[in-house]
Amino acid sequence: MNKQEDKLIEKYGRKGGWTVPEGYFESVYKEIDAKLPPYPETPRHVEMTAWQRIKPYVYLAAMFAGIWLMMKVFYNASGNVTLSLDNPPEHIAMALSESDLADSYILPASLSDMETEREVMGQYDSIEEFQQDFGYELESEYKEMSLSEE
Amino acid sequence: MAYTVPIDEKQLIEDLQNPATAQKAFDTLMRTYGEQVYWQIRKMVTSHEDANDLLQNCFLKAWTNLQNFRGDAKLSTWLYKIAVNETLNFLNKERQRNNITEDGDDSFLLANIESDEYFDGDQLQEDFQKAIATLPEKQRLVFNMRYYDDMKYEQMSEILGTSVGALKASYHHAVKKLTALLS
Repeated sequence: MNKQEDKLIEKYGRKGGWTVPEGYFESVYKEIDAKLPPYPETPRHVEMTAWQRIKPYVYLAAMFAGIWLMMKVFYNASGNVTLSLDNPPEHIAMALSESDLADSYILPASLSDMETEREVMGQYDSIEEFQQDFGYELESEYKEMSLSEE
Repeated sequence: MAYTVPIDEKQLIEDLQNPATAQKAFDTLMRTYGEQVYWQIRKMVTSHEDANDLLQNCFLKAWTNLQNFRGDAKLSTWLYKIAVNETLNFLNKERQRNNITEDGDDSFLLANIESDEYFDGDQLQEDFQKAIATLPEKQRLVFNMRYYDDMKYEQMSEILGTSVGALKASYHHAVKKLTALLS
């Protein structure tokens, strides 16, 4: 390899100074031989039965059938026979029909800026009240403007 | 059947995997590779008693796993692999017993060298073995395999699962460290 390795070999050799008791190897081989358990059995190849082959698929099908059945039972129990967007479950339909929900979440999203502005202004009876709430003064030309829709 | 030297490895593997001839073939396997495996273990654990136990465990494991040996590697490589695993497991347990962390040097081995009745090296050899015992575990394995057994890097790579380049570097570092320690 290199000079350093050569120097180590030259100085220390490759024996190492280790020894073993006399006749050690012969005796240890006999000792191991005596300890050997019976020859390890080769695992036999066992043919799978038809049931073992189809079992995973049957379990999978049973799982889906179970889920379908559970859904069916729940919908029947709540009085809905079929479920569609036109015929949603009762509690969803009720929630959607509440005016608060429609006003708070659905209507504002569908309003244009102009419509929103009109709606806000419609909630005030006088321009002073509106000015006070929004903290600004309308220019004189708008002061005579009516707040209600024409 | 009787085996002649050099051993016909293919025949030996066939016989090992045949229940009728396995025991005789296994005896041949032990007599062919037993000493090499023993010395590899001994240089790592330093004590003859520990090396003896590990050698027996190694061959018993080999026997019980004969069916798993597919002949992809050489028998000697397979045996070395088992021996290395057994040795590293033993050293880990010893470190735990001596409260030494993984990164710590195996200084407990130094005491083994001093007290081993089957070490008849002079002071020079003792110093050399003590210096080797201070190398990190993997580096010590590589050093022993290369320095004492003159093992090819390719075979070492199969046994240790490390690239040839990394093994060469490891050996180079080990030689450098030992030279520095002993100078």
